[in-house]
Amino acid sequence: MKTHKLFESKSHTWLMFGRDDDKPNEIIDTNQYIVITHKNALLMDPGGIELFSSMLAAVIKQLPADKITHLFASHQDPDIISSLGLWDQALPSATLHSPWIWESFIKHFGMNNISYSAIPDEGSALKIDQVNLEFIPAHYLHSSGNFNVYDAEAKILMSGDIGAALESVDAPIFVDDFDEHIPKMKMFHQRWMPSNEAKNDWVRRVRKLDVDMMCPQHGRIFKGDDVKRFLDWFEALEVGVIRKPTAEQG
Amino acid sequence: MTELSNNYFVCVAEIAAKLDQATHIAQQLSLTASNARAVALRAGERAAGFRPLTDFIDRLADITIKSSRSINQLAATLSQTSADKVRADSAIAHFNTVFIKAKDSPFISSLNAVYQRCQTKQRQLDQSYKRQIERLSEELVMLSNELRNAVILATLSRVEASQAGIEYQEALINVANNVEGAASKIKDHIHYSQQMVSTLEEH
Repeated sequence: MKTHKLFESKSHTWLMFGRDDDKPNEIIDTNQYIVITHKNALLMDPGGIELFSSMLAAVIKQLPADKITHLFASHQDPDIISSLGLWDQALPSATLHSPWIWESFIKHFGMNNISYSAIPDEGSALKIDQVNLEFIPAHYLHSSGNFNVYDAEAKILMSGDIGAALESVDAPIFVDDFDEHIPKMKMFHQRWMPSNEAKNDWVRRVRKLDVDMMCPQHGRIFKGDDVKRFLDWFEALEVGVIRKPTAEQG
Repeated sequence: MTELSNNYFVCVAEIAAKLDQATHIAQQLSLTASNARAVALRAGERAAGFRPLTDFIDRLADITIKSSRSINQLAATLSQTSADKVRADSAIAHFNTVFIKAKDSPFISSLNAVYQRCQTKQRQLDQSYKRQIERLSEELVMLSNELRNAVILATLSRVEASQAGIEYQEALINVANNVEGAASKIKDHIHYSQQMVSTLEEH
């Protein structure tokens, strides 16, 4: 699994983990993110069981395990958090931040030690050491209880499945040509996201934020003007439709 | 009888299912005892020797039901322990992979405490698993021994039935056959469960 530094300041660092060559072919490639502060760390959407060993091995190369005091699961899907039962053994004192509606569902993955901090529908803030993070509502995009993580200082939005693209494990980290990237994400957003109203509500919310990097859980990261391009494209896209992808789409 | 499975989750579930069937048969046995009591009452003095036997049939049914329920409970506990054991084994296997993949990491020792805790947990679960299988095995032997009395009970029932007169003889012999048949079916279930326990012991 590759590790890529996205941001570094005196107070904290953002790392991305992904493009895992060791993962079985049948499972979708995922991006994991971590915010490392002076004494603590927040690991976001830590991934599925199949990924756990690679993920923990990648993390342990960067920081001691017991420094990871917070976990975040944007929603309840297996590729997001089915590794919870193993993280529960590795980080027994950690706190998992996740949507309140999924608490009794996510616990099916096995949670005997970790504490669950339920995020209310309207979102909430998390201060780790001197770093302020916000859980931004992204409901129905695609899960009915769903959050992004925003860091105003780093100007990074961890957008979960929003902006996700289905790509190979050797794909570049960043979007380099937005128009070329559209076919890789169009069907995903139309099929997995059910509500135009929820989508436009999210676009309005995110337009108010200062975002330099939008980091999805699958595919490539949007940087600079591509963030605005994505918001414009997403706002205009009709979602909640079943349509077979064709060469003309894009 | 189906082939014994090597999957111990399936073994535990099959033991529970077999004992559940045993409980149903024992409940029918209890009904048989009630019918026998009614027939013996109608037969009057001629079936006087049969009446105490109905109490024994009742007792046999009662013991089988209680014991089956207890074994079922044990199987449920064992199933939970098995699930915990699989999880602990899986965590150890994953950590072993991490130790290989990140062997050069300066922070690899930060996993030592967690790893040791998992190993301790794994050992405790192994011990619990073995203890629970032993108890399950003992309970099955005890129930099997109780069911030996069913053969004697059926033989005595037939002797008493032969003295009850033609009018009631057939009904009472039927009771004896029911007792014998039920006991035989329950024994089959126990025997199968004991084979399953042997598979678990080998695991």
